[in-house]
Amino acid sequence: MFTRNWKHLCRRYSQAVTFRTSEIYPAQHNENQIGLFYTIKPDLCKQLFNHGGLPKSFMKQTKTFTETAIMVRQPALDIMDCIRASDMNKPVIRYVLYGEKGSGKSLTLAHLLHYALEEGYLILHVPWVSEWLRRTPRHKEMTNSQTKEGFVDLPLDAAEWLLHFKTQNQALLKNCELKISKDYEWSKREKTEAGSPIAALVEHGINRVKYACDVIDALLLEIKILSNSKQCKTFVAIDGFNSFYYPMTRLNTPTKKKIKPEEVTLTNSFLELTKNDWNNGVVVLTIDQLAVPDENQESFLPRYLLYKKGFEHLDPFVPIEVGRYTDKEFLSCANYYRDRLWLRGPSDLETELKFTSASNPYNFMLQCAPL
Amino acid sequence: MSNVLIFFYRRLKNSSFNSSTRTLSKLQIRNYAKATSFPDYYQNPIFRKEDQVKLIADSDLKNRATVPVKPPTVSETSSVYFDPLVNKVINHVMEKGNKRLARQLVEKAFENIKRKQIERYHLASTPEEKAKIELNPKDILYKAVENCKPLLQLQPIKRGGITYQVPGPITEKRSLFLAIKWLLETTDEKERTVHFPEQFAWELLEASNNTGKVVKRKQDLHRQCEANRAYAHYRWQ
Repeated sequence: MFTRNWKHLCRRYSQAVTFRTSEIYPAQHNENQIGLFYTIKPDLCKQLFNHGGLPKSFMKQTKTFTETAIMVRQPALDIMDCIRASDMNKPVIRYVLYGEKGSGKSLTLAHLLHYALEEGYLILHVPWVSEWLRRTPRHKEMTNSQTKEGFVDLPLDAAEWLLHFKTQNQALLKNCELKISKDYEWSKREKTEAGSPIAALVEHGINRVKYACDVIDALLLEIKILSNSKQCKTFVAIDGFNSFYYPMTRLNTPTKKKIKPEEVTLTNSFLELTKNDWNNGVVVLTIDQLAVPDENQESFLPRYLLYKKGFEHLDPFVPIEVGRYTDKEFLSCANYYRDRLWLRGPSDLETELKFTSASNPYNFMLQCAPL
Repeated sequence: MSNVLIFFYRRLKNSSFNSSTRTLSKLQIRNYAKATSFPDYYQNPIFRKEDQVKLIADSDLKNRATVPVKPPTVSETSSVYFDPLVNKVINHVMEKGNKRLARQLVEKAFENIKRKQIERYHLASTPEEKAKIELNPKDILYKAVENCKPLLQLQPIKRGGITYQVPGPITEKRSLFLAIKWLLETTDEKERTVHFPEQFAWELLEASNNTGKVVKRKQDLHRQCEANRAYAHYRWQ
């Protein structure tokens, strides 16, 4: 009895060693931990991803597995190395994550966000651009912009983003001296004075939803100025960036006029942010086929998905491909699934699953589901 | 009929060559329009690896080598996760030959079962409780079907102008058919807002616990058979 338990324990231990890493700080991750899973603490997870950021299917998994574990993979490590090695006084470097559907772009971005939080960056994270431009629930709030002629505001989405920004940067907004540089007059009575903290600006946007888009515009401008003057370092992460450059959105004005993405105020604010006319920051974008409709998903490469305009907008950028699992990663993932009881059965199941899923992480997860 | 003709035609053609190996290889080639249009003497294919190993071990292979064999269908694979009962259930769920959708629905139901059970597993506090929880959805399906299988059936038999519901034994095949049919019929009695996979998962879990509507239906049938035992002699009189 004892020996059997002992054997069992040994096996558990050896398994635990091969697929899990106890290093929970992304800044400490290195080549040795490639393919291993690390766990994000629940409270941290809530802070970072409460308003979106993790894919829906992954959220379901975290509930079943009772933990949020992300695999350490090469693309994320590459970007971290690049960030560490780069000179912050030079214009920002744009990193573009691209890859097939379900290869883990969003999760790589989540890993990087965790890194940015640990390193004390100010995070500007857009969970999924298509949520604004392509998803049209029955009551999508939409108004004509009052400050810019011919533009359209998405006040509710903007306010939601501000809330997301606030929860992600709680600590920085509380005790940092991030001041705004000029007066903003919203209406006759409402005004934000120069020198008040940016938290006040955010608070105003959340309370007065009507002005949320203008607040975002101002906020992003102020953050650029603050980063230029080295008061904070900024980490911009936009998921599904190519949605900004798809010729049409699915939004209609009440007069049934189709809206182009460049006619939305939010688009312009965030495109300003992805220009390289500022420094002391990092910009990580993902380009996803899922962000555009089915008929325009022929290729996952940046030039195709960004169109000429978007490609020229980003032009010197660092493309980083997020690929399928390597053999080692696949094995460790399979072990992890076995540990979480998600995968069971004989061990030659893995070889077959590897073949049928073509080592695509999302497909692999899906195909394990009914087993 | 045409298949048979082609078959004999080929045999004639080959016999002129007088090459035995060639005849054998030619026999394996079949021109057919539908999978169902095979003559009676065509044997069912043996496509599972373990069955093939058994065949070789029993040295039955020689006998089968000369007999023509039907091709396996697309779903009959030697894959590790092929399961005959699951395949059967998928075929029952299928409508208008849309097997892809049927398979997706059943697999989704399995996923739901798995998620529910894993959640319960994590909630359970003691190891004994954890050991009790069945995590494999296929095992749950087997258990559920086993629990739903009726042992007796009622046959309407006309005697003296009156139709009696006469209890009698049931074949293995029909009881399996009834079990799957009842499971699916009960699943269909759902609210419109509930999706098939959710309800099916629920029914399977219930049935595997020996509770739920389907098991009750089986017990009702047994009770009816018990009540009608007086008519049992009509089966042979």
